[in-house]
Amino acid sequence: MLSRIAESFFWLGRYLERAEATARMLAEHHQLLVEDQSVSDDVACAVLLDALSLPHESIATGHDLVRTVVGTELLPSTVVGAVSAARDNARAIRDSLSGDIFEALNSAHLDLSRGLALSGSPGVALYKVLERLLVVNGVIDWTMPRDEAYRFMGIGKELERIDMIGRLLAVRHDQLWPTAGPLATLRAAGALSAFLRTGAPINGEEVRNFLVLDATFPRSMRSCAADAEDAVRYLDRLGVGDGGALLREVGMLRSSLEYATHPTAANVDRLASEARLAAVRASDEVNRAFFRQHGTIIWSH
Amino acid sequence: MTGAKQTAVITPFDEMSGEGGPRATHAALHRALEFVGPLSLAERARQRDAYLDRHGITFTLGERERPLPMDLVPRLITGEEWTRIEQGVVQRLRALEHFLADVYGSGQVLKEQIIPRSLVTSSTHFHRQAWGIEPPNGVRIHVSGIDLIRDEQGEFRVLEDNLRNPSGVSYVLENRRTLAHVLPEVFTNYQVRSVNEYPEKLLEALRAAAPVDVDDPTVVILTPGVHNSAHYEHAFLARHMGVELVEGRDLYCRDSTVYMRTTSGPRPVHVIYRRIDDDFLDPVHLRPDSVLGVPGLINAARAGKVSIANAIGNGVADDKAVYSYVPDLIRYYLGEEPVLPNVDTYDLTNIEQREHVFANIERMVIKPSDGSGGYGLVMGPSATEREIVDVIAAVNADPRGWIAQPVVTFSTCPTVLEDGSIEPRHVDLRPFAVNDGKNVFVLPGGLSRVALPKGSLVVNSSQGGGSKDTWVLDDTAPRSAAPSINVPRLTVVDTDIPERADAPISHDDRIVQQERQQQQSLLCVNQEGRASC
Repeated sequence: MLSRIAESFFWLGRYLERAEATARMLAEHHQLLVEDQSVSDDVACAVLLDALSLPHESIATGHDLVRTVVGTELLPSTVVGAVSAARDNARAIRDSLSGDIFEALNSAHLDLSRGLALSGSPGVALYKVLERLLVVNGVIDWTMPRDEAYRFMGIGKELERIDMIGRLLAVRHDQLWPTAGPLATLRAAGALSAFLRTGAPINGEEVRNFLVLDATFPRSMRSCAADAEDAVRYLDRLGVGDGGALLREVGMLRSSLEYATHPTAANVDRLASEARLAAVRASDEVNRAFFRQHGTIIWSH
Repeated sequence: MTGAKQTAVITPFDEMSGEGGPRATHAALHRALEFVGPLSLAERARQRDAYLDRHGITFTLGERERPLPMDLVPRLITGEEWTRIEQGVVQRLRALEHFLADVYGSGQVLKEQIIPRSLVTSSTHFHRQAWGIEPPNGVRIHVSGIDLIRDEQGEFRVLEDNLRNPSGVSYVLENRRTLAHVLPEVFTNYQVRSVNEYPEKLLEALRAAAPVDVDDPTVVILTPGVHNSAHYEHAFLARHMGVELVEGRDLYCRDSTVYMRTTSGPRPVHVIYRRIDDDFLDPVHLRPDSVLGVPGLINAARAGKVSIANAIGNGVADDKAVYSYVPDLIRYYLGEEPVLPNVDTYDLTNIEQREHVFANIERMVIKPSDGSGGYGLVMGPSATEREIVDVIAAVNADPRGWIAQPVVTFSTCPTVLEDGSIEPRHVDLRPFAVNDGKNVFVLPGGLSRVALPKGSLVVNSSQGGGSKDTWVLDDTAPRSAAPSINVPRLTVVDTDIPERADAPISHDDRIVQQERQQQQSLLCVNQEGRASC
C-alpha cells in the first residue's frame, strides 16, 4: 500500500486513541476536583496539564482546565485537536475507509467544532464526546478488514496507549487525593471493573502495577506492547517494509514488561518511564521503516 | 370513634433557612442554586434522569425498573452534628450487639427483666435456629442502617433500627457521583467528606468475619436475583468489592462446607454477605418452600465453616416493639446515657397506652412492629375514617404486631420541583455503619430520603420517596494548597507530544495547488498533473 496511506492509518489510530484517553482523563479529573475540594484548584489543574504537556500560566479553576484540555483544532494534544487531526487523516484516506467510519468521525468532529464538549456541565458534555468516540471505535471494529492498513492503525493505537497510560500515571492522583485518587486513575483508564476483579487492595501502588503490568487488561502497557508486537510481526510476515529494528524495539518492551520480576514501586515507575521512551523510539522507527524508507527527495538543479 | 379533631400546627425544622434567611453553612449552596437558576435546574434534572437511566442506577418497584429519584439539592451536615451522629450510632450498635449475643446466648437481659421475655420470644424475627451459633469475631450486625430524623428543635432522633438487610448504600455513592456530574456548581466552597471508602471497609469487615482457620477467605454476596428491588445494589457492591454475586442455586453444602459451582469445579465459600431474608436462607431449617436459599447453610454456620452476614435472627433487635427498650439496653450493657434519643413509642400490648393511642389517633402513626419499607403504616392525620377503623381492629386483634408513635414533623430540606423551582420537603437520614469486630465505621454521609409529595412524611423509596446526596462537611481541615509541596513529580519522561510531521492535509502550497487542480478540472479536461513525483 502507499506509504502515505499507511501513515494516515497510523496517525488515525494514534489521534483517535489520544482523543478518547484525554477526554476520559479530563472527565475523571474534573469529577475529582468537584467532589473533593481538599486540594486547591490551581495545584489540581497543574498536575493534569503537566502530564498532558499543555501550558498552564493562567489556569486557576476547574472551568479553565476544561476549556484548556478540550482545546482547539490547532493543538492535537487536546480533545478537539486530536479529533480534528484524526478526521484530517481519515479524510485523506476516505476511499480506503468504510463510509460508516468516516461519517461517525466526521460528525463527531463537526459537533465538537460546534461546542459539544463545552455545552452544559463538563461531566455531561465529556460523556457525550466519549460516546461519539466509542461509536467510531465500534464501527472500526466491525467494518475494517484485518489487513495491512488495520495493522498500521493498530500500531499507532497501541503506541499512543502506552504514552497516554504513562501520562495518566504521571498525574499521581493518589498523592493528592489519597482516598478517591486511585479510583479516578482507574476510571480514567476504563479499568475500574477489571482492577476490582483482581481483588487487589485499591491503592496507588497496586493501581500502577495493574496499569503497567497486567496481562489481560487491554490498556495496560504490557498488553499494548504485546498487541503492537503482534501487529509488527504481521507486517513482517507480509514482507512489508523494513521492520527489523521496530520488531526488536517492541519485542524488548513487551518482554521487559512481561518478565518483570518482583515489581516494587520504584521498579514499576522505572518500567513505565522506560516504556514511554520505548514507545517514542518505536514511533520514530515506524516512520523510518515504512513511511520514509527512501528518504526525502530533494530537487536540485 | 375519634377524639376531638385537634390538629396542632407544628413548624418543621428547616435545614437550610433559619429566622433570617439561609443559615451560614448553607449560604454558599443558596448562592450557587440562585446562580444556576430554575430554568437551568430543570435542564439539569433532565440530564440527571438521562444519567441515571443510562447507568442503570435503578430499583425495582412492582414489575418496573426505575431510577431512584435523586434531588439536585444536596443535604448538608456539619462536622459537629456528624460527630454526634457517629457517636450515637456506634453506641447504639455496641448495645445491640450485646443484646443479640445475650438473647442468642445466656439470656441474662431476660433473666434480669430489663426487657420482657415475651416481647423477645414473640418477635417474628426471633429464630431459635440461631441459638448457639457463635460468630467467629463476635459480630452479628456487620452492616446496619439506623434511621434518624431531626425533630422540630433540630435534634437528631432514632426513628428505627435496620439490622437485617439495610439497603441504599449504593445510592449514597452513586448520588455523589451523579451530582458532581450534572451540577458541579454546588460543590464550590464546600469540602465534603468522601464516601468512596465504603466498599473497601465492607470487604475488610466481611473478611474479618471469616471462620478463624481461614487465611484468605472467599467472600460472596448472596442475592435473591435480578427481580429483587435492590438487585442493582447487590451487583454494585459485588463489582466494587471484586467478589462473586451468587444466587442460592450457585451454592451447595456438603459435609457442613459451602461450595460454589465454578467452571473449575467446586470452590469453598467462607463468608456469605446475604441480601435475602432469614426465612429464605435454608429450606432445611426455615421456610421449606424457599428456592432462594441453600439447604444445609445453617448447619454449616453452626459448624463454624461459613460466616453469614448479617447474622440470622438479627430482626429481634430491630423489632419496632423492642426499639423502645433500646435506651434501657444502652444503659444496661454500656452504663452510658444514649447519645441519640428515641422517638416516643407506645407499647400497644399495654392497655392504658393503647387507649391513649386510640384517643389521640389523629396525631399518631401506627406501624407494624416487624415491618419495613413503610408497608402497612397508617398516618393518623391523613388516614381515612375507613383506614382508622381497620387499623384499630387490627391492633385489637394483635397488639404485639403493632406500635404507635406520635407523628413527628421531621425536618425539611429545599428540594427541586419539576419546573425547577425549589420548595421544602421532609427528609430523614440513614447512616450506614460497618462493624469489623474491632471498629465500627460509620460512612460519612448516609442516605437522605426525601418525601417528594408536598407535606408527605413517608420517605420510603417503595412509597414514592426520593433521595438526596448527603454531605458531611469537613470543617476541620481548611482547604489549602499544602499537598502540592509534598507531591514528588514523577514525570521523569517529558517527551514532546508526538504529532504527524507531514500533515495529511497540509496547510501550505500543496493546498493551493490541489485547489487549482480542482478548479481547472471544472473548466477543462484535466491536463497531466505535474506536481507529484
